[in-house]
Amino acid sequence: MTAAARSPHPRRARPERGEQWAETSRCRVVAARRFGAFTALELLAPEIAAVAWPGQFVMVKVPGSGFLLRRPFSVFTARGDRLGLLIEARGPGSERLADAQVGEALDLAGPLGAGFPLEGVRTALLVGGGIGCAPLQMLTDALAGRGVPVMAAFGFRDGRQARVAAAFDIERLWVATEDGSVGRPGMVSDLLAALDAPPSATVFCCGPAAMIAAVQRWAAGAGLRGYASLEAHMACGVGACHGCVVATKRGALRVCSEGPVFALDEVVIP
Amino acid sequence: MNPAAVDLRVRLGRLELEHPLVDASGTFDLVETARRSRGDYVAAFPYAAYVPKTVTLDAREGGPPPRVTETPCGMINAIGLENPGVAAFLEGLSTIVGLRRPVIVSVGGNATQEYADVVRRVETALGEGARRFPDVAGYELNVSCPNVPGGLAIGVDPQLTAEVTRAARAATGRLLLVKLTPNVTDVRPVARAAVEAGADGLSLVNTFRAMVLDRSSLRPFLGNSTGGLSGPAIKPIALRMVAEVAEALPGVPLVGMGGIMTGVDALEFIACGATAVAVGMANFTGLEAPRRILDGLRAECAARGFARVTDARGVALARGA
Repeated sequence: MTAAARSPHPRRARPERGEQWAETSRCRVVAARRFGAFTALELLAPEIAAVAWPGQFVMVKVPGSGFLLRRPFSVFTARGDRLGLLIEARGPGSERLADAQVGEALDLAGPLGAGFPLEGVRTALLVGGGIGCAPLQMLTDALAGRGVPVMAAFGFRDGRQARVAAAFDIERLWVATEDGSVGRPGMVSDLLAALDAPPSATVFCCGPAAMIAAVQRWAAGAGLRGYASLEAHMACGVGACHGCVVATKRGALRVCSEGPVFALDEVVIP
Repeated sequence: MNPAAVDLRVRLGRLELEHPLVDASGTFDLVETARRSRGDYVAAFPYAAYVPKTVTLDAREGGPPPRVTETPCGMINAIGLENPGVAAFLEGLSTIVGLRRPVIVSVGGNATQEYADVVRRVETALGEGARRFPDVAGYELNVSCPNVPGGLAIGVDPQLTAEVTRAARAATGRLLLVKLTPNVTDVRPVARAAVEAGADGLSLVNTFRAMVLDRSSLRPFLGNSTGGLSGPAIKPIALRMVAEVAEALPGVPLVGMGGIMTGVDALEFIACGATAVAVGMANFTGLEAPRRILDGLRAECAARGFARVTDARGVALARGA
């Protein structure tokens, strides 16, 4: 069965970078695995998992009366009827979600945003920093399904943060830590030169602004093209509030709608 | 009493609304939402009228990011009136021609004349081909954006508010609302000035100027440094201001807003004298918010024996409204 035939929304042709759905659904947590400061949640979310595209995100309602705005999370995995999310406890909202228990139902809207373009990719170099690694597992799965060779470089602050690497299933994965406790000491951008990516490689990166800027410089020097997935504080996640704009060479664009994935060379890091 | 039997219809000036709920400008984008919804969302639009994001004569880039974050019981924003300008706005409006609800165009500007210019541009477009657009029933003059230079200059000044209102009044015969800022010592003189200058009704309140710090750096979090506070945190202040204006200007239709998340919140604004109410931040909590609030309002009316929602209007006031 094709993905389009599985889609619960057959009315529209599937856009190349993913359908976007604002409707919400209650999704039960079926697994929660902790990796240091991260939690990998697996949710029963057949409708979202069926149409999710690598690089897209969902808006998750934080349970409890103390939280109002939904929080955006990249799709970590979409396998069968299961949707995976990777959560780093950063503030009270993500702390609560990172603590979600098996059996608990979460309220999700999505998938949302324009994901990674996959057409014409022959070899892929994935670069992730911290929680920015999250969308790269689903990307790996999709690329593998298309027979595209993948190599990945992940950077973390320290050994505790690097524990999340164990949540990933990527055959050729290199890790760098700033404190040198795991993998190569230094920044992930220092890893890139050593990887010897072929000139045909497409770069896919997601992480903090400083990392994106470093990857941008390196890719420009190496003559490689690619994409960057950006994060931003969001209110609505569906293009209404214009709260999540970032600077690009095309002007200020919304991370939730025109993004979160942008061409690597069009992103303007302040 | 059966909630389904509650009559929710209200009259906002000359405008008949199926129920009292509208969206607060800048919190709901019908074009974007329709693209992300099953079925024909434009035809099934849940609000009684559509108030789009504020439009100015020329396109505006808005303020620097970050622009939004949650705060205790609310949120802060500094979008800075980002919009594509009136020409592109009209193009967008023509894509929702199937809307069965009236549109109230939110108008922004810097100078007195700019507001009237936007109104005239819309009127001209409607005059040239009204069938290309949904039913544009009126305007809401946003003289109260706290996040652009001079954005509050008009709304805190009764005389300037009157000037803007008069100029816009001269440009249209449609419903004319003026959206008031709460960033004043007394909201009533500005309210009175707008009505005396020709406003058919008033919307209140816009957001409160506020500030949030980045906790690690102790620097302002927002790119604009300050922003506008909204959400449940401001509801009690907004209720007080709606009640003040309702008592000072009896008979003037008011659109009350400020942190409405539930049906009983909406009913409270009506009890303070509002004819209609606008839902803002709740739109960011999920697509089901307007339906949930509307069902809640119906149930809250029924539970209190209000056969008509208008029976609840002004019951909180000293002498009704």
